Amino acid sequence: MSQVSIAKSAYKGVTYYDKKKAANGYTLFSTYNYDVWLIDMEGYIVNHWRMPYSPGSHQWLLPTGNMLHAGMIKSHEEMGLPVEMTAIGGVLVEVDWDSNLTWKAMAPYSNHDIRPMNNGHVMYHSYNPEGILPDEVAKKMKGGLPGTEFEGQVWGDMVHELDRDGKVVWEWKACEHLDPVKDMSCMLEKRTLWPYVNALWICKDGNVLMSLRAANEAIKVDYKTGKIISRHGKGKIFHQHDARELDNGNIMILDNGNHRPTYGPNYSRVIELDPKTDEIVWEYKADFPSDFYTPVCAGAERMPNGNTVICDSWTGRIFEVTYEGELVWEYVSPFIGYQVGMATTMMWRAHRYLPDYPGLKGKDLDPGRFPRENRMFGPESFMKEFVPSVF
Amino acid sequence: MSFARTRIKGLVFCDSRTAFHGLTLYTPVEGSSALMIDLIGERVHQWKLPHEAADTARLLPNGNLLYAGKSKNAALPDLECTGGLLQELNPAGDVVWEYEDQYLHHAPFRMKNGNTLVMKWIEVPGSTASKVKGGEAGTEHEGRMWGDVIQEIKRDGRVIWEWIAHEHMKPEEFHRCALCPRDTWTHGNSCKELPNGDILVSFAKINTVAIIEKQSGKILWHWGTGGELAHQHAPSYLPNGNILIYDNGYHPQGLALNFSRVVEVDWKKGEMVWSYEGPEGGMLKMLFFSSMLSNCQRLPNGNTLVCEGMTGRIFEVSSFQTLVWEYVNAFPGKETVSSPSESRSCTVYGAYRYGYDYPGLSAMKL
Repeated sequence: MSQVSIAKSAYKGVTYYDKKKAANGYTLFSTYNYDVWLIDMEGYIVNHWRMPYSPGSHQWLLPTGNMLHAGMIKSHEEMGLPVEMTAIGGVLVEVDWDSNLTWKAMAPYSNHDIRPMNNGHVMYHSYNPEGILPDEVAKKMKGGLPGTEFEGQVWGDMVHELDRDGKVVWEWKACEHLDPVKDMSCMLEKRTLWPYVNALWICKDGNVLMSLRAANEAIKVDYKTGKIISRHGKGKIFHQHDARELDNGNIMILDNGNHRPTYGPNYSRVIELDPKTDEIVWEYKADFPSDFYTPVCAGAERMPNGNTVICDSWTGRIFEVTYEGELVWEYVSPFIGYQVGMATTMMWRAHRYLPDYPGLKGKDLDPGRFPRENRMFGPESFMKEFVPSVF
Repeated sequence: MSFARTRIKGLVFCDSRTAFHGLTLYTPVEGSSALMIDLIGERVHQWKLPHEAADTARLLPNGNLLYAGKSKNAALPDLECTGGLLQELNPAGDVVWEYEDQYLHHAPFRMKNGNTLVMKWIEVPGSTASKVKGGEAGTEHEGRMWGDVIQEIKRDGRVIWEWIAHEHMKPEEFHRCALCPRDTWTHGNSCKELPNGDILVSFAKINTVAIIEKQSGKILWHWGTGGELAHQHAPSYLPNGNILIYDNGYHPQGLALNFSRVVEVDWKKGEMVWSYEGPEGGMLKMLFFSSMLSNCQRLPNGNTLVCEGMTGRIFEVSSFQTLVWEYVNAFPGKETVSSPSESRSCTVYGAYRYGYDYPGLSAMKL
């Protein structure tokens, strides 16, 4: 089989693990196919869900022990939409530990991120025809490559909250609240979409933190009025994902660094911002910065012990570093899915669940339940030491 | 940090049945060395460079090494690939020729007549600079914008031909990258002499590869400005008359993903006739990317040698997109690291493969 690079793809599974320093637990992810995996720290598969829909974005293990999954019904091509609107989903699905359907709701045009809420509702965002910018707003909108609108229009994002009956109980339209000049789009992005919401987070005060990719900033939206309370990271983050509020009140963001206005080199980083001053109070970058670069997707989670679990989507890799930036765990996905016209090992997002997580209570986490999967994709099947091939 | 992606070093894969046999010369960014390895990754020769390399070194037909070194007297050391000094070394590492100019940048090219083609920084006049669009205002280099001048210098250092970019290029015509800083305008990163004496040049920030008519200074052809290229490097002229380019794919317009590719352009027809992007179906094509540096070289057997600079990875592919050889720079310049998880830079400027019939190899008497 022909390879693009053996050096970069030879190692699979868990390639590095420091038992004492890692935040030991279980990692949930899926790679743009119908399987969702939960692995332990050694890379053994402890649960495998088989979904009715390929992921349009990601999945969460809920405190109830069920799994919430954003599924794709039709691809962007089938819907006649441009490639920038990839990851169009369309359906939210909840399954139990054994992949039995427990809940389903239609989520037309749903895009990347979904966020389960404490009250059992789900928040998701969409590229929705209802969010299309009115002409006068589109004309004012700065940034983006001129003339690249989709059929002459700019599609604006919308955010929706669904209750357990699948009804929309809250809705937010980006073009009604954003400033087309201040929140301008990246100069090299197409003008098909704006501001390109790609992450949702419910803050402790009930307000919504959103990451805007094209606008290169994170915003906090007032849940009651829809108004923008604050803006974060402008000038510091580029095509970022996964803005979240940490327990200490700071905002953590995965700064992908795509289209960063430097001549090079490329790099991604995880930063922690003080929301009051917008100062960067913590940063993680690879020792040699371009060793960690994911132009799209990706995310980061802070663990109680101070470690950060980072999903390096582009390379199909999930890794964990200490607060000081030392690598303590690394896993490279052996699974292949299909996204944006490519076979890929990418995963949208990964989540780490510690053993005391309510959703894992009473669950059978014995890898022995999946002998076939573990034989193929568990730690024993991957090489530990690389040997070059010479013909 | 990527343990999995950066741990494998040295020879990775070699299919000697299909690879082009010869020695590979490459220049790591760190460590002041130029290294020559054989097909199974064994080091057969190493030059200790008197100065840190500013760009890829080349082996001349006479067996000497020609490289651009970083000089302490360089006027603009923070501009990328600024050198300031050219040196020609014999196989023992003695300096047999030297040329110094504080504005020298990127790699020199030894011409057929024994002269050397060089690139230097030259200030873009304010009236022109103000017309250059793109890039954030205030990102100029201490208020100035630097352009390129290409010169042909004789062995004694006399400049006998000169071409100043801003005298032949209009800011309105050469659309610049909207994201890059305004410290440089065209940002030339390669100049080579064509068989008929014309000059093939690559301007990174305007995403343009061009052919300059030596006699008149006119630009006979240019390509890539419209977004076909994204901060490319190392165009070369092929025996079939086409141009081969390493398209880095950095700051691509309207694309949120980053892929590098090697493209072969029939410049007379203005169309791309071949490209290497990874095998059909896009299987893991995202594994090929280098934001900066890098080069490519068409080999006599039809294969293409590619250097993915930022990762120190040098590989060879057939015209059918199959990987036939892969090597990762195993001689990084930094000292040993303190823990197995610490990564170190093995970045390489570029690489060249020399067949055993290349005069320079026999002249070296290896």
